Amino acid sequence: MSESSSMLWVAVVMVVIWGGIFAYCLGLDRRLRHMEDQQ
Amino acid sequence: MTEKTWQKGLKWLLGVWLTGVTAAALLWAPPAAGFQGDSFRIVFFHVPQAWVAVLAFCVNLVASLRYLRGRRPLDDARATAAARLGLLFAILATITGSIFAKIEWGMFWNWDPRETSIVILLLIYAAYFALRQAVADEERRGALAAAYAIFAFVTMPFLIFVVPRVYASLHPNLVEAARGTVRFKMDPHMRMVLLAALVGFSGLFTWLYTLEVRVARLVAARRAQEEA
Amino acid sequence: MQRSSLLAESLAILGKEVASELRRRVALNAIGLFAVTTLVAVAYQIGPYGLAEQDRPFLLSALLWIILFFAATAGLARVFVKEEDAHTAKALRLAARPLAVLYGKLLFNLVLLLALEVIIVPLYCALMGFAVRSVAGLILVMAAGGAAFAVTSTFVAAIIARASGSNALFAILALPLLLPLLVAVIAGTRAAAGSMELAAVLPALRAIVSLGGVTMVTAVFLFPVVWRD
Repeated sequence: MSESSSMLWVAVVMVVIWGGIFAYCLGLDRRLRHMEDQQ
Repeated sequence: MTEKTWQKGLKWLLGVWLTGVTAAALLWAPPAAGFQGDSFRIVFFHVPQAWVAVLAFCVNLVASLRYLRGRRPLDDARATAAARLGLLFAILATITGSIFAKIEWGMFWNWDPRETSIVILLLIYAAYFALRQAVADEERRGALAAAYAIFAFVTMPFLIFVVPRVYASLHPNLVEAARGTVRFKMDPHMRMVLLAALVGFSGLFTWLYTLEVRVARLVAARRAQEEA
Repeated sequence: MQRSSLLAESLAILGKEVASELRRRVALNAIGLFAVTTLVAVAYQIGPYGLAEQDRPFLLSALLWIILFFAATAGLARVFVKEEDAHTAKALRLAARPLAVLYGKLLFNLVLLLALEVIIVPLYCALMGFAVRSVAGLILVMAAGGAAFAVTSTFVAAIIARASGSNALFAILALPLLLPLLVAVIAGTRAAAGSMELAAVLPALRAIVSLGGVTMVTAVFLFPVVWRD
């Protein structure tokens, strides 16, 4: 695999993993606070 | 309960930290000797993910032990949350490890001892959930799952330490290649980024874990309200 | 009432297991049939000449243990599942101490496994042309490996009997726990095949014995939880 494309793959995977988890956490956090406020 | 400032601050810190780590891993860390291009950079994610998978197992162990002692549903919920996260990170670690293997050695799988250990951990988590699904009664489910988790935990040191060494006697040439990944000469900058990544992922796990436990608490509270 | 010793109770349960197994031979049939069928299939396909010389020690060791492993999983779960199926579990709970139940059934599974090894291993070596240099080493690995195998299998059997009792669940739960052991026994068998010195099997043997010991202790602590619930 050429150097530049391997870098791209690696970068994409890492950003997707990090971004995905962080977004999920933020969303869950927001929803939780909403539910807790309702209680 | 509205959010306190320090909680908000921590979340921001985590976000900035891990973004910084990702950027550093991709752009700043110098290339390691003997590796094709930038493939090794995924190691900055791979190692922390494997570490978190193991950390989750430890959290699950503690929760399982506590459940067996006091039979509190919250402890069972904690154990499940930890196991779910452990499964997630074990899958991620396997994927990133496999990507690394593909770039580095041209094959998606290589059966090097560390990879095998992560897969076994993955199988343990999957088995844990298969067991939970097979039991209807709540208390029995918690107790059986806890017993399995604790039993599985004691075999883990063998996974991590013994299997690689015994494996080496079976596949010496494979281990030569694998040694390169795990013990490559760590440039001090690289070590810094790796350490930062470890801290960041541990923080991510802690946040995810507390979130999941809060959800479990809410669900339980809501169910108690409906039954009252 | 004078309580009988733990040893006496365990042996009594072992005796009951052997007696009931000899009467209906379900586990024996399952294990035996599976083992012989796979052995014949492998021997027919590969035979003494089917493998390259340098691969032989490792591949032959691995194949042997795969045969033993899968044959064992066909029948080892029965020892607890049949109690639940026949609804005799409650009676057993009243009649004997939990630890006696564990030891008795563990010994039974051990006897089953050792019998399997005694029959299959010589047959395998003959059919596949597997020349093992250190027979003493092989016997040690087989005995220790069988014992460690029995401990984990019996404990997992106890768990799944209280769940769905299916053999599939048994395999799913037992496989990850048995993989480290599998690696160690294959390495030990290979070492015994490759060298006449007993010392060659020692590293693997150490791993097997420590694994067996650790799982045994843990099983003793956890079994009452699983059994009593």
